[in-house]
Amino acid sequence: MIDVTTALIRDTFREAFARKIFWGLFGLSTLMILFFLFIMKIDIVEGATATLSLFGRDNGRAMQVDRLVKGVYGGIATFLYTWGMALSVFASSGLIPSVLEPGRIELILSKPLSRTHLLLGRFVGNVAVVALNTAYLVLGVWIIFGVKTNIWGRQFLWSILTTVFIFAVLLTVVVLIGVLFESAALATMVTVGLMIVSPILAQTSTMMRLLSSETARDAWRLLYQVLPKVYDVGRMTLDLVRSQQVESLQPVYTSAMFGAAVLGAAIYVFTRRDF
Amino acid sequence: MASEVAIAAENLTKVYQSRWSGKTVRAVDGISLEVRRGATFGLLGPNGAGKTTFVKMLLSAVRPTAGSARLFGRNAADPQSRSPIGYLPENHRFPTYFTGYGMLDFYASLSGMNGPERLRRIPEMLAMVGLDNWGHVRIGKYSKGMLQRLGLAQAIIHRPQLLILDEPSDGVDPVGRRQIREILHGLEETGVTIFINSHLLQEVELFCQEVAILRKGRLVLTGRVAELTKGKGYRLSASGVSDELRQRLAADAASAGSNNGFSEFVFPDRANVNAAIDALRAAGCEIESVAPSASTLEDVFVQAVGGASEERPPTENRS
Repeated sequence: MIDVTTALIRDTFREAFARKIFWGLFGLSTLMILFFLFIMKIDIVEGATATLSLFGRDNGRAMQVDRLVKGVYGGIATFLYTWGMALSVFASSGLIPSVLEPGRIELILSKPLSRTHLLLGRFVGNVAVVALNTAYLVLGVWIIFGVKTNIWGRQFLWSILTTVFIFAVLLTVVVLIGVLFESAALATMVTVGLMIVSPILAQTSTMMRLLSSETARDAWRLLYQVLPKVYDVGRMTLDLVRSQQVESLQPVYTSAMFGAAVLGAAIYVFTRRDF
Repeated sequence: MASEVAIAAENLTKVYQSRWSGKTVRAVDGISLEVRRGATFGLLGPNGAGKTTFVKMLLSAVRPTAGSARLFGRNAADPQSRSPIGYLPENHRFPTYFTGYGMLDFYASLSGMNGPERLRRIPEMLAMVGLDNWGHVRIGKYSKGMLQRLGLAQAIIHRPQLLILDEPSDGVDPVGRRQIREILHGLEETGVTIFINSHLLQEVELFCQEVAILRKGRLVLTGRVAELTKGKGYRLSASGVSDELRQRLAADAASAGSNNGFSEFVFPDRANVNAAIDALRAAGCEIESVAPSASTLEDVFVQAVGGASEERPPTENRS
């Protein structure tokens, strides 16, 4: 059982790294780490204040070191959560359809493993690849800033968890569309669509005022409750990184429920399909 | 006690239905079939006869509409029933990011082999299929024949009790074919059941003891190859036969003709052929050969399927 699961995860890693786009993701993370390591220079002036210089040019302003660090952490967490997430979804969208290709799927299905095991192994492998890249970037930046400023704010590390969590939720959509239509392009479109629609749906109080019909308001509320709360979890990530109080964990629960339901549906479809 | 029946299909049926038009195709229509443990079995049929669908139902890649299949007594829908199975699909598509070694490692892991066992078996398998110098080369660089041999290696690496091969020598050159046949003979001697789905009748005739022939999704003939191809009567070939003698012998023969300067006769029984030999000897003719007449598997096949090709149009059925 463990050997089979490990083999499925390793196979996903092997396939991911055979694709240039995953190397691109890691390359991008490496570039950011190198940027903070060599280009961005922080001079601690009087213990709690610092000046920041880029490419050797001082910005001329002294600021609180911890504010500076939190600002950079917030910027990176936002970048990772938006662009990093979109790139990860794009890179992952082909990993399910590829395993369903005729001539490949029959052979895997002839092995003594259940279809649920196969799909979950692939899913976990895919999440693990993205988790590795996220951890690499966040830990890399965290260590660099820790060494340069002697501030080891562990709150920044929450962004690994929240980013990987929301990626896993969005990946369930990629998996469902993959097993239904075997289309990487469609999976990307729908998943990125969910990411885009999330901040719009999150404006619930504004929309409740603007929408005139009760039915439309109910529909809006339903969509907001049902669909993954990418925006809300993103806000929560920023709050965590900035050491601010998190208002509610409800976006996490409802997004997790969405992910579980969609993954359940994907398994249901996959176990009933003919290949 | 382990089941003595490797494959048991009972009324196995697959009906495909179009989601939009409701039209149906009965790809496999109520096949009941048993393959005993240790047999070499060939599944034959024209294109579209339902062979591949039948095999896929055995492996649970396709869900039967009706009926059931058992592998060594276990329900084929149970993933563990596939533990003793090795399979080589037709038109396989192995991921090209694998090396030969990596591919065997992956499929052996899925077959339930542990790490130390895999370490030992993979080099053995690569050597067995003549790819020992290619193990660490990406399979994108392999020829079709090499891929087929590597595919065979992944099918047998975990020492299966039943080997299901879909067109195993497709794309393989004659030397490679012989190599594959030798490997399969070796497995046969160790008691492995071998089930071949092939359109190469000669190959099936050379290798399999038993065959089944499908037509339009139905089983039309099954039996031992030796019995199916056993002819009725004897074939006699002779030279220096005069026209008059030829006409006289032809009167008692089931058929008569000439081939490369030899007169050939097929007599319905032993008494007729003995009388013909006496007459030929008395006339000073040279007897080239006498043998029981046999039909080829191709003759049997053509007779069974009626020379029809099988691509069936769907039928209207909205029930």
